[in-house]
Amino acid sequence: MNPPRSAFGPSPARGRPQWPGKAGSTGAHAWNPVVWVKVRFRQWFESRIPLRDTTTLNQRNVYILPTRPGFMLGATLAVLLISSINYQLNLGYLLTFLLAGSAVVGMHVCHGTLRGMTMNLIAPDACFAGASATIGIHIHCNRRSTRYGIGLSVLESVHWVWTDVPAQGSATVHVAFKPERRGQPVVPTLTAETRFPLGTFRVWTVWRPAARVWVYPAPEAFPPPLPPGEPRAGGAASAQRQSSGEFEGVRAYQRGDPLKLVVWKKVAKADELVSRDAQQVQRMELWLDHAHTGTSSPELKLSRLCAWVLQAEKMGMDYGLRLPGQEIRPGRGEAHKRHCLEALALA
Amino acid sequence: MNFLPARLSNLPRDSRDTLFLLMVIGWVILPQVGNLPLWCSLLAGGVLWWRGWLAWTARPLPSRWWLATLLVLTMGATLLTHGTLLGRDAGVTLIVVLLTLKTLELRARRDAFVVFFLSFFTMLTNFFFSQSLLTAAAMLIALLGLLTALVNTHMPVGKPPLMQAAKTAGWMALLGAPIMAVLFVLFPRLAPLWGIPGDGMTGRSGLSANMQVGTIASLALDDSIAMRVRFEGQRPRQSDLYFRGPVLSTFDGREWRPLRSGFPSRMQLPAELQTTGPAIRYQVTLEPNNRPWLLVLDAAATRPVLPGFDMVMTPDLQWMADRPIADIVRYSAQSHVEFRHGPMRPAAGLQDFIDLPPGFNPRTLAFAAELRRDPRYATAKTPELVDAVMDRLRTGGYGYTLDPGVYGQNTADEFWFDRKEGFCEHIASSFVILMRALDIPARIVTGYQGGEVNAVDGFWIVRQRDAHAWAEVWVAGQGWVRVDPTSAVSPSRTGSFQRLQAPQGAFTSALIGVVSPAFALNLRAMWDAMNNGWNQWVLNYTQGKQLDLLKNIGFESPGWEDLGYLLIGIIVAVSLLGAAWTLWERSRHDPWLRLLEQAARRLQKSGLKLPPNSGPRQMARLLLDCYGPTDVQARAVHDWLLRLEQFRYAPASADQQAPRLVTLQRELNQISWPQ
Repeated sequence: MNPPRSAFGPSPARGRPQWPGKAGSTGAHAWNPVVWVKVRFRQWFESRIPLRDTTTLNQRNVYILPTRPGFMLGATLAVLLISSINYQLNLGYLLTFLLAGSAVVGMHVCHGTLRGMTMNLIAPDACFAGASATIGIHIHCNRRSTRYGIGLSVLESVHWVWTDVPAQGSATVHVAFKPERRGQPVVPTLTAETRFPLGTFRVWTVWRPAARVWVYPAPEAFPPPLPPGEPRAGGAASAQRQSSGEFEGVRAYQRGDPLKLVVWKKVAKADELVSRDAQQVQRMELWLDHAHTGTSSPELKLSRLCAWVLQAEKMGMDYGLRLPGQEIRPGRGEAHKRHCLEALALA
Repeated sequence: MNFLPARLSNLPRDSRDTLFLLMVIGWVILPQVGNLPLWCSLLAGGVLWWRGWLAWTARPLPSRWWLATLLVLTMGATLLTHGTLLGRDAGVTLIVVLLTLKTLELRARRDAFVVFFLSFFTMLTNFFFSQSLLTAAAMLIALLGLLTALVNTHMPVGKPPLMQAAKTAGWMALLGAPIMAVLFVLFPRLAPLWGIPGDGMTGRSGLSANMQVGTIASLALDDSIAMRVRFEGQRPRQSDLYFRGPVLSTFDGREWRPLRSGFPSRMQLPAELQTTGPAIRYQVTLEPNNRPWLLVLDAAATRPVLPGFDMVMTPDLQWMADRPIADIVRYSAQSHVEFRHGPMRPAAGLQDFIDLPPGFNPRTLAFAAELRRDPRYATAKTPELVDAVMDRLRTGGYGYTLDPGVYGQNTADEFWFDRKEGFCEHIASSFVILMRALDIPARIVTGYQGGEVNAVDGFWIVRQRDAHAWAEVWVAGQGWVRVDPTSAVSPSRTGSFQRLQAPQGAFTSALIGVVSPAFALNLRAMWDAMNNGWNQWVLNYTQGKQLDLLKNIGFESPGWEDLGYLLIGIIVAVSLLGAAWTLWERSRHDPWLRLLEQAARRLQKSGLKLPPNSGPRQMARLLLDCYGPTDVQARAVHDWLLRLEQFRYAPASADQQAPRLVTLQRELNQISWPQ
């Protein structure tokens, strides 16, 4: 998407916020009474907004306030008016009032840019904690005017995505955010704003989508190798435990074996193609156990399990997951993986 | 050279936007060039070119040191040029400098806003120098350009065509125009909040307080309009249209001046004006002349009505305001063409009007003495002597010319005996000198004579070229009597509508040769009428006119507070209307949903239990379940509901006539509902 425009000049803005006044407040300022009041106000304000995945913007949920350039324009108009009075310039009055009239019309145009639009949340994909996730938003407008310069962002964020919405058409934008913690949180509060056409007013809305997004634990970057397989419970040939953690059941390559079943290490040693023996594999069961991860840190345990799940899925193995109070039978495939990761997210 | 357009359309957006803004700024500054110091115009042009080149070639902006240096230099230059950094002219120079230098610092959005707002103010400074229709048109274009640039700045996506922003800006200005009109009409016209620095009013043409031979020559060729007059009722004869300006009575050999103008009027001869005959009422719209003179038709006994000004009549019948006319004013006045003024019998003060400087015009003096010795005039009174001189002017081979050449020291001698031609100034001056040499009190009156009617709007137009000088001679028993020696030399100058030469203003000279002169004259009349309308309705819209408007609306004795109340009332009314519209818009539904809702309400009224948000098909099924499939009325409603569904959800096909919403509405109204 396009970045917000800084100015006309070829050199980008340096050291100046491109859209002022959107710095996020953090807990570090909580002792500051002004910030405290601000934070409380915002909490109260946000709690009033119903959770919805579709929102239609109207008079009730579109807000408008003059911007700093707006006040500058007001000051300019005052100076123009005083000059016109002092020099008795009737043409000066005309200029002042035409500018003022255009600014008033601009205010209505600005408010009308957001009003009447419908925003739909596109169900967000699951993501990992600490990695950035994107929310898709579908903006639809069935009025007969093009809406220019609409910016969307996560509330309190400084990253804006700008778009135009064609008349009686729609646009889709993607807003990125970075979930910090695993779980199934609600999609962060979003905000849309515009300063079109004159930049003298900021018109914005605050939207709390109801959708939840799956945030899996962040996978450990360099996890230890997968734990050794356990013999299938009640299976006859259950004695083979190998310290290496590798499954050694192999057979000669047969035409049609998937490439990921080929044991490349053996191929390198011997000069023939060797495949894993599915029956051999199935004799052993890979259990990813919360109790046996080799670490005591609770979050690290989950991260490691997450990384193992991904690894095992990638290797095309069956794997089961044991969590306190929950056990997922071994299995394979996208649905199984998602099941495991969701269990990890909520653990 | 189709390289340039291709390059233009391929410019990156930043460069294109910057170039456009620079063009608009150039357009804003351009009308000022004549009023700015030369260095300032050159600097502004240079900086704009430089900035445009930087944008064109996508080079980085100069460092702030450059800007600081330039700023200090220009401040110094302004101080040197104007002697101050304050005041109007210095202020205009500084604003133009700041605006152009700021374009070199267009880095962030905030800088762009500063440029916009400085440009708006620069536009206003144009009006210090001209408020004409052309200036207004140029500045309207500039305003649209600035709004376009401002709108374009707020279209962050992609590279939208400038026309798109221009369209939005145009619409905003168009919709803003009614707001402008209401504010313009009703915003109370206040007196200046503090004193206006009096500089900068130099260089406007008009009559002069003094008369040196040759000064009126330039005026006589000036086609600009001095005043417009609208007569109530019959217009006086052309030969009676003498608009009185300064009266010049003191002569030093080179220059005519008013008589002891600094003296209080009680030390001068009283005016003693007596008027007879019918009064002529008229309104004058006077172009600014930066002089306190109010030009009135000879002679106005009563005070012209001009709100905001205090005025007195001088002993020589001139009406003076208490301050210079720096803007277009309109006043109504009342004059009598038949009048007498001045002392009826010889008075001591009349001595002043026969004074002549020694050592000038010896041949004229000798000629006067010769006339006096002439037995024909031995016992002649003043009228006979005046007639004799007028006869000489008529028959002595004297001519009227606009190009008499440069006169020497003895202007009267040269006119009477050598050159025998000149224009009104030479003729009047020579005539008065001769009168005074004959011991007849005489003086020069300057002003405007004649004019022409504008056929489009009926106003009487007096131009600077109608500036004139004539004489007044004192006659015992009659007081001061107007004598126009120029009419003796060139009767057409004062007697008829004919002008000496075809009028050629800047506007018409461009047209003549392309179109027929008559058409050009018509065009010119229309142009003058437009200008006049502009002056009457826009530039001359004063508090008086505002109060007149209130009176017409029905206020008993309006004051400026009433204007404020009216303005606030209109704002409140419009806001309430807006609020009502908002409410209406909120309740406005999709017309299809409204139809469905009407049907549901109707069905519920007849006892049907409908779940909330039921669709037409569901409603139709429930209806049939309730009344049975044989009930005719229920069947009709059922079919209607299915047609309603079809309207919304079935794709319209070409062969099948799709039901229309109006039809559905009509059918709904005609349906008889099951009980």
